[in-house]
Amino acid sequence: MGRKINNLLLEFARLHRFLMRFFREVVSPPFEFKEIIRQCYEVGWKSFPLISLTGFIVGFVFTKQSRPSLEEFGATSWLPALISIAIVRALAPLVTALIASGKVGSQIGAELSSMNVTEQIDAMEVSGTNPFKFLIVSRIVATTLMIPVLCFYVAGIGLFGGYLSITSKDDLSLLSFFTQVFESIQMIDLFAMVLRAVVFGFTIGFASCYVGYYSSKGTEGVGIAANSAVVASMFIVFIEELLIVQLLGFITPLIS
Amino acid sequence: MSASENKRSLIVGLFVFIGLIILVAGILVMGTQQNKFSKNIKVTAFFKDVKGLKVGNNVWFSGVKVGIIKEIAFEGVENVRVSMNIEEKNSQFIRKDVVATLGSDGLIGNSIISLVGGNPQTPQIADGDVLKSGASVGMEQMMGMLQENGTNLSVITSNFAKLSQQMVDGKGTVGALMTDDDIANNLKTSVQSMNKVMSDANVAVNNLVALTQKLNSNQGLIHDLTTDTKVFASLREAAAQLQGVTQTANALVENLNQTSARLNDKDNAIGVLTNDPEAANEIKQILRNLNTSTQKLDDNMEALQSNFLFRGFFKKREKEADKVAEEIK
Repeated sequence: MGRKINNLLLEFARLHRFLMRFFREVVSPPFEFKEIIRQCYEVGWKSFPLISLTGFIVGFVFTKQSRPSLEEFGATSWLPALISIAIVRALAPLVTALIASGKVGSQIGAELSSMNVTEQIDAMEVSGTNPFKFLIVSRIVATTLMIPVLCFYVAGIGLFGGYLSITSKDDLSLLSFFTQVFESIQMIDLFAMVLRAVVFGFTIGFASCYVGYYSSKGTEGVGIAANSAVVASMFIVFIEELLIVQLLGFITPLIS
Repeated sequence: MSASENKRSLIVGLFVFIGLIILVAGILVMGTQQNKFSKNIKVTAFFKDVKGLKVGNNVWFSGVKVGIIKEIAFEGVENVRVSMNIEEKNSQFIRKDVVATLGSDGLIGNSIISLVGGNPQTPQIADGDVLKSGASVGMEQMMGMLQENGTNLSVITSNFAKLSQQMVDGKGTVGALMTDDDIANNLKTSVQSMNKVMSDANVAVNNLVALTQKLNSNQGLIHDLTTDTKVFASLREAAAQLQGVTQTANALVENLNQTSARLNDKDNAIGVLTNDPEAANEIKQILRNLNTSTQKLDDNMEALQSNFLFRGFFKKREKEADKVAEEIK
């Protein structure tokens, strides 16, 4: 028991060191711009088809499912407002983060842990390249930047999916739809969406890199790393979602 | 930098650019819609009860959104200050004397403030104005009214139920009308007689029409009466004479009255005869005496006939009577 607690505390210490090292390295030159761009391409552009399709389906299905309960008291004209609030405040960042942790998180975890297993990271260090900067910082920066961008796409495409779902039953112009959409959200909602996406992006990159970087040696370590990268990312994303909702609930009345 | 790397950067740059455009477009659209960027006029109104109005709710004027609620704060007990931002471009149509009322943009919609009225002669609103606030028909009032109506309705329906029950039972005039056969039959007969009366009346009216037509034509007494002045003059004369006659008659009647009054008195012969019971008795006695006297006289006369002195006279008269009878034969 005491040993377990000891291990847990040691893990926390390592996590803290890793985090501190990231922040130290991210602001200190030299910057690996080319590698960051490459990672952005991998994380953002390569995930775009999957995530945008998911966003569209979420918007479409969510609208379709919400219709009956609004129809019950004849308030289907409120669908745009409902979708707007649901997608901008919650769904867009969350869906993006979940899909990205599945696609990007597992990729990062597997990549880094296999590098670890094949001792490429050690070799990199020997050859004079800072592996932490080259591998970790670039990936975490890439996810932190790309997840918000993906999230904007998801929000836009999700709303469009919702619009298509509405027009399948009702007659509604796109202009009228977006007027209602933006009427029902506030500036703070957009701000919260960006905040969430940034936090989720950082979380996915950080958790996946950490798991991959410290994976155990051996072939099975790659599988475990890939798996736990996804599980840890998703889990932490949900916990952060919970915390951010609480925080925004506290901040919103103070700002508006 | 290799070609593939260059292409990659380009894709990432474009990808990020479009993503940011979505965000910025969203912010701009929302900002303009909620007048974050347009010029505003700040006005306030005071309410006793804002009924769940929130910061960011809309302000309507003639059903058009012209601004938003900026601040809601207590100013005192039951006194809430509501500050609103009115778009400057719309403010020229809003007058200083508009009344701010609380409303809702739908049955279950958001609370809004709607600006009502405004005299075109008064100047337009300006920054810092305090608007009058008016009472609005709130949901609760409507519900209260509905409740009252409901109670009234239930009373009315129960009354109707009673009424209809009585009708069915045959109580009251309507009930009797509806259920009693006798009344129905009576009604039928009365309607029939009414019909007859009506047809008679019709005939009468026709006659009347004929009569009036005759009157209108220049013939007949009534026409003369109404048109001829001579006839009227003689009628007046006749009336005057009639008056004289009645006066004479009056005098006559008076005399008669006096006479009859005299009859009632006892100071004259007739008066005594009619009024005095004593005199009546005496007269009765006299009459009785007379009766007996005449009877006795009759006896005496018969005795006289059979007397020898007068027998010859009677025989002679008999013979003469026989002779006359024979001559006639």
